Amino acid sequence: MYKLFLCFRYLRSRVIAYFAMLAVALCVAMMLIVISVMNGFLDKIENAAKGLYGDIVVASNLRGIGRYDEFIEELTEQVPQVEAASPFIFAYGLLSIPGQDYRQILQVAGIRLPERAKVTDFEDGLFTQRGLSEPTFDPPVSLLRQRLEEHNRQLQDIYRRESSLSEKDGPLAPEKQYFLTRLDRAWLLQIEAEGFLLSAQPHQQKLAHLQRELATAEADAKGQYSQQAVVLAEQLDELIEQAKYQPPDKRAILGLGIPGLIIRTEKGETVRYIVPGHQVVLSIMPLGRSLSSTDIPTSVTRLTVVDDCRTDVSSIDSGICYVPFETLQSLNNMDAEYSADDPDRQITPPRCSQIHIKVRDADSHGERLLEVNRMVQSLWQDFLQRYPDAVAPGVDVTIETWRQMQAKVIGPIQQQRTLVVIMFGIISLVSVVLIFVIFYTIVVQKTRDVGVLKAIGASSAGVAQIFLAWGAAVGLVGSILGCIGGYYFVKYINPIQDTMDRWFGFRVWSREWFLFEKIPNTVDPTTAVNIMIAAVLAGLAGAAIPAIRAARMQPVEALRYE
Amino acid sequence: MSDLAIQVNSVHKSYRMGRSDLHVLRGLSLSVAKGEFASIVGASGSGKSTLLHIIGLLDRTDRGEVILDGVKARNLSAGQRNRIRCNDVGFVFQFYHLLGELSVLENVLLPAKVNTPALSWPDRRKEARDHAKELIGRLGLADRMKHRPGELSGGERQRVAIARALANQPKILLADEPTGNLDSKSGRSIMEVLKAYHSDYGQTVLMVTHDMSLAEGTDRVLHLTDGRLGK
Repeated sequence: MYKLFLCFRYLRSRVIAYFAMLAVALCVAMMLIVISVMNGFLDKIENAAKGLYGDIVVASNLRGIGRYDEFIEELTEQVPQVEAASPFIFAYGLLSIPGQDYRQILQVAGIRLPERAKVTDFEDGLFTQRGLSEPTFDPPVSLLRQRLEEHNRQLQDIYRRESSLSEKDGPLAPEKQYFLTRLDRAWLLQIEAEGFLLSAQPHQQKLAHLQRELATAEADAKGQYSQQAVVLAEQLDELIEQAKYQPPDKRAILGLGIPGLIIRTEKGETVRYIVPGHQVVLSIMPLGRSLSSTDIPTSVTRLTVVDDCRTDVSSIDSGICYVPFETLQSLNNMDAEYSADDPDRQITPPRCSQIHIKVRDADSHGERLLEVNRMVQSLWQDFLQRYPDAVAPGVDVTIETWRQMQAKVIGPIQQQRTLVVIMFGIISLVSVVLIFVIFYTIVVQKTRDVGVLKAIGASSAGVAQIFLAWGAAVGLVGSILGCIGGYYFVKYINPIQDTMDRWFGFRVWSREWFLFEKIPNTVDPTTAVNIMIAAVLAGLAGAAIPAIRAARMQPVEALRYE
Repeated sequence: MSDLAIQVNSVHKSYRMGRSDLHVLRGLSLSVAKGEFASIVGASGSGKSTLLHIIGLLDRTDRGEVILDGVKARNLSAGQRNRIRCNDVGFVFQFYHLLGELSVLENVLLPAKVNTPALSWPDRRKEARDHAKELIGRLGLADRMKHRPGELSGGERQRVAIARALANQPKILLADEPTGNLDSKSGRSIMEVLKAYHSDYGQTVLMVTHDMSLAEGTDRVLHLTDGRLGK
């Protein structure tokens, strides 16, 4: 009984013990913050990779994979663990905006909607179609107008706030003036897009209808001249001119953050220059077919922007544009190739760059995904024997999990995290040393108390337990305080950074340099508990030697101590 | 059962002082009967405190034998020595040795807490507190229960130390210069307290002092000279 009693009494009355607690609290908070941010960083990368690729990726080089639809059908039928799969095309292109001196090289991704939403979390990052389980390249124009109005309101709020702040501060600083000018420009572009949408709304259905008819006519013609196709194409061109809006196969979803197309406020808000309704021009260098000359003709097409998408990994979002799968297939020369002599004879089937596969209840870290991966590999080998034209001779096809595919990106970050944790762990040893020094001092100060306790019958183990319990209590209280502090620091890490930026002009996490929009701000409870256990053990370790010293003290020597 | 509370037979004790040994007790023998109030008088450094520490099982002999209430100290394990210190022997020190972080009541309760396992304390608590309060009240410190030792006078602190020594109702009370740090009035008051307890409860009391006038009030006075006792 006396052990706990004296432990708590010493804890309360010895101010020096509070310094030990503070040291533990700071170390726990530091470890929690570092590990949480690093883990969050890694999670973001991993989630973004999964969001982009699904669980398993069948990938080829620029020549691509043919008969993907047949393979996907066999895959979903024969591998019950496969939930869904979708073809995907990667290409490189140049984005430009009609009437503006703007050019940006980016990756162009050909995707099938809404199929892709079953394979990845693509729909979660959409602006116009957020919350819709089946996003499409042909969302209702009314929805686009609604989102535009919301964006407009946000833009006006930002403008009012920024301009009122500027008035309070006196004459406008050049950079503030420039910022307001950019907001003005964004507002004008918004009005322009609203006009496009207004003129497009009555024609949306007819555009889709004409496009379908034209596609059917062209398919029937098999690359040969067709009067019907020519007439339909002319009608469609006229309608596009009138509607100022492209048909569903000529639509684009831009990554949110393409340089020059957005403005970021100091508060981290995003203002778009190019919004749904605007048109962009995409020039693709078609590399999907073997070329006989070094002169590569460029495929150019005009697209209407209908949405934008974010994965929260700015290195992805700032350099990608999503277009309909079949459109990019055609632009990149990955569509079917027919014999010039015999239009019915297909030389090459239509191809994709990758097939993204979603696995049911995939354990991203476990053997289960690897096992499904092996099943997909086995099926592919079998499929290839039956369909040898699925890939061009000499073309390699790799089948990997998303983790294997991103190993070169994830691996260094994992190593970096381990290194940082080790470094901060070593720094945290300072708290163990501090507890040791403080407890040693306390034990020396308490030598006579130890003598008295032994004189009234306390055992050596009992005396040691007083100091060990004290050390554990310092560790526990310090770790609880550190956990609370660390949790709230991580939770509000972004506002804290914004405040530091406002007050001192000091920004650790630049949105321009780092991968993410925001510093990861979630704390894993398991990590927090592990750090707390480590802190209590550190407290015990720090108190162990002083406690042993106290226990070994002879009562007479302790009583005579001066 | 022996009638002797304390038996010390041919005890030797020396301390290492630099390169030489300081021989403090040289074959000392002593017997104290149960219920006797004996005192040992000697000059400073004569080994009085050492003898008391050996009898109170706070220290060990180099040679010789200590028997407490018929139990040979040499054969006792560490746990048994702890139990005897806790239950059978009460110690009063010259410099009180109270725990500064604890109140008067908590200091007096400490031996009871040491003697009681944590799980049994809730059952024992009330009885122990009542006993401690009674002791403190009898020593005239009822209004000082919640005070810290630092807020008490020397005489009051020594009363608290006596209350603590008596908390577990020991059979033997060992007092090491209990008045050595007090003025003459406080010293007399402390002696009266010890005598009152001795007469009320019949405890064996062994006191060491260098003050002959205090020793004369006890049942027997022994003189410690050159590490040996004489009457």
